[in-house]
Amino acid sequence: METYQIYSITSGVLFVIGMGGVFLSKHFIKKIIATIIMGSGVFLAFVSFAERDALSFADPVPQALVITGIVVAVASAAFALALARRIYQLTGEESFTIEK
Amino acid sequence: MSVLIDSLLAILIVYLALQCLLAPRLTQTVFLFFAFGLALALAWVRLGAVDVAITEAAIASGFLGVLFLDALRDFSFITSGKQESSDAANHSVSKKKPAFLSLPGVVLVLGLGLFLLITLEAVWKVPESGGLTAATEALLPESGVENPVTAVLLNFRAYDTWLEMGVILLGLLAVMAVGGIKIFPVHRKTPEDPVLQQVILFFTPILFLFGAFLLYFGKNGPGGAFQAAVLWGAIGILLHLGGRPVLTVIPRWLSQLLLIMGIGFFLMLGFLLLAGGASLFEYPPSYAGVLILIIETLAAISIAVTLVSVFVHLNQLNKEESN
Amino acid sequence: MTGLPTSPLPALLVGFPILLAILTLFFRPGVKALVGLAGCLLTALLAFIAFVEVTQRGTVIHTPGGWDPPLGILLRMDALAAVFIGMTALVGGFISLYAWRYLRAQDPATGGYPLFWPLWLFLWAGLNGLFLSNDLFNLFVTIEVISICAVALAVLSGKAGALKAGLRYLLAAITGSMAYLFGVALLYGSTGTLDLDHLGQVLEPGTTTTFALLVVTLGLLIKMAGFPFHFWLPPAHSNALAPVSALLSALVVKGAFYILLRLWMEVFGVGITYAAGQLIGLAGAIAVIWGSWQAFMQTSLKLLVAHSSVAQLGYLLMIFPLLILPPGVTADSADWLSVTWTGGVYQVISHAIAKASFFLSAGIVIMAVGHDRIESLRDLVGNMRITSMAIGLAGVSLIGLPPSGGFVGKWMLLKGILLSGQWWWAPVVVAGSLLTAGYVFMLLRLAFAPAREKEPFRPVPKTLEVVALLLAVSSFLIVFPADYLIQFLENSEIFGSGIEAVLKGGFYGND
Repeated sequence: METYQIYSITSGVLFVIGMGGVFLSKHFIKKIIATIIMGSGVFLAFVSFAERDALSFADPVPQALVITGIVVAVASAAFALALARRIYQLTGEESFTIEK
Repeated sequence: MSVLIDSLLAILIVYLALQCLLAPRLTQTVFLFFAFGLALALAWVRLGAVDVAITEAAIASGFLGVLFLDALRDFSFITSGKQESSDAANHSVSKKKPAFLSLPGVVLVLGLGLFLLITLEAVWKVPESGGLTAATEALLPESGVENPVTAVLLNFRAYDTWLEMGVILLGLLAVMAVGGIKIFPVHRKTPEDPVLQQVILFFTPILFLFGAFLLYFGKNGPGGAFQAAVLWGAIGILLHLGGRPVLTVIPRWLSQLLLIMGIGFFLMLGFLLLAGGASLFEYPPSYAGVLILIIETLAAISIAVTLVSVFVHLNQLNKEESN
Repeated sequence: MTGLPTSPLPALLVGFPILLAILTLFFRPGVKALVGLAGCLLTALLAFIAFVEVTQRGTVIHTPGGWDPPLGILLRMDALAAVFIGMTALVGGFISLYAWRYLRAQDPATGGYPLFWPLWLFLWAGLNGLFLSNDLFNLFVTIEVISICAVALAVLSGKAGALKAGLRYLLAAITGSMAYLFGVALLYGSTGTLDLDHLGQVLEPGTTTTFALLVVTLGLLIKMAGFPFHFWLPPAHSNALAPVSALLSALVVKGAFYILLRLWMEVFGVGITYAAGQLIGLAGAIAVIWGSWQAFMQTSLKLLVAHSSVAQLGYLLMIFPLLILPPGVTADSADWLSVTWTGGVYQVISHAIAKASFFLSAGIVIMAVGHDRIESLRDLVGNMRITSMAIGLAGVSLIGLPPSGGFVGKWMLLKGILLSGQWWWAPVVVAGSLLTAGYVFMLLRLAFAPAREKEPFRPVPKTLEVVALLLAVSSFLIVFPADYLIQFLENSEIFGSGIEAVLKGGFYGND
């Protein structure tokens, strides 16, 4: 087993954990963190392929994509956090209630 | 040996991710999230992606973690009555009647397990391709910088990076859309804390210099605009927490200019190049290095200001409620 | 990409709205709306210039940075992109006019939700960028721009209901984009390219390819509210301000559909099986029936219109099974392919126009009576003749009665279904239309019914009513250039060759 394979397998596990977390977690904050974990899985997949394809340096394209991706994910998460806090402020709810 | 280290790190990452989602208290979740980010940063280093590691530690773990920490004040400490009930709800998830023991829960977990197996098979069987390493290596001398990641970010795929600056600005606009419409909220006097003041006095120059270092050497070694921006942003956040809200003392137009400077200059440069008959962001080769440094510097300032404003807005959310 | 003429227009279509979005930040709220409106109209003008350019010169391209793919990013404006950009300009232009008047009337104190303008211009740039992009990762960045703008616009009213719907929408959108991106990571790992054309040539069948196709499709289905993932759409669309609801329903969900269409037709030739197509078609069919039925059962006007969007998106999913050839059929005899996908595109356009008009009209009615129960439509004809007409015309187009644009789209879809021999989709189309007719006529019956008690209709700015009516009329006018548009699409070389490549690679060919 090569180094990159350890991490690409891990990436798959993180992706599924995150996806499950988005659906199964109750609290807003946990749902948001679950999306970040899902994203980390995606980014780990990219970077593991970058290591696999390394010549004198690891493939820079996936690394650049991941840096862009991290920033995009953080911007979305900050927005989601703002929504969650505002909802809590207005209604006192910390998770989605079953509604019609 | 190295396989052992990597395997242990991988197991640690998965463990922290699971614990993060299963922890009964929100405080634990947030601290486990910090730990998860740091473990992940180690993984990036092991994979030879130092730029990604710095970004992860600075933005995903650092900045976002601080936002989550700040949010804890809302969810766990403000209303004790609600705290009880929400804690009870959280406990019930993990102890008394876990949600994943109900029938739809079982189906979901089984489905996820199946999905995991398929995912792992797909990830395991990814064919070799070679990526774009060779292509980058061949064109690197024409890019104006020596760090290949910076070359991809600011030259080969500059269009993506420019749009991404837009996404950061949008993040702020979106946060503002939730909380109100002021560009910078009115500051409220925070009690003076002598220890905090000293800490800030001590850290401000260090953070500034380290940020500048990352920015300048991002041309040749790891580092760059985003990483520098977070360090500079940290200065702003510290100053804000210490009762010196830098962004509210400068005139409005100036703060707005600081916000859009990065993306704005990048775009105007692109339009200028278009007018000259080149493509958008197609720098003249001899000026590429200089232009990239200017863009990175302006972008770093803009992103730092944006991050501070996002923090201030989120931080302000619960203060507005309390009066 | 050799041989195709380059043009600065693709770069301008993305850069110009963003420049204007940044500029609007500097103005005071009142002025901001004016600058924003002017910016929207200029962007629409630019889009029409670009559309004409494509009709004259054919496909044009632009490579930002001057680097060729696969290292660089290619922006390509072909007929399909031009049609979507033109649609966005037409619908977006009208909605901008409406929004300018509507927001001022709703919230005079702060100058009418000033953040609407930069967010909408950013959204417009994101849509244009998505239609032009030929790069898997760049598509991800554009759909993120679109999602963040869309959710931020949806929560602009600041009410708790809107915020909750918005968070649900945002979480669904992030999950969708991450699923999409995971597929992109695997595709990059196995091919070393992100460029769509290049990917279509080098992609080999295998477990990874099939799985990547699965998660990419899943992610995009979440984003376009395809059947089991439609849960976020009705609350998000019905809680937003009227012009925002119109934008979300008419344009935003179409972005994910566009990527799905492009990927399935141009790239994923090797990974798709007959069964996968049938499954997506089934999801679409359920959405048509379930969405229409839910719309029929609603008591709130905006929820009715939002559920109708779920149903209309279902029609779009039903074109996918038809694009896959059954065993033993060759490309030459598959004469239904072009009628199916051009019909799908036509359905997108006519739904965008009709649904925008419907949501704008609903906004007018709610403004006039102060609540959004369906009962409020009672005696609408006596009080607001123009809006009644708009609702009637838009409704007829949604049902798909001749001579509306909706009729052309559904007719072509039906033709494709019958020609392909997959007759089992036909009853769904008919049943969907009947159910749509059910709720549209229910609304119209109320509009003509005399008022029970004296319910006052507050006066509403005439501009709003006129804009809604103009859009409704457009949903009929687009019938006239239908032939031209369809030929324009069919002759676009890239899509033709796309289909050919797919067929050669064997949409069904590998077994």
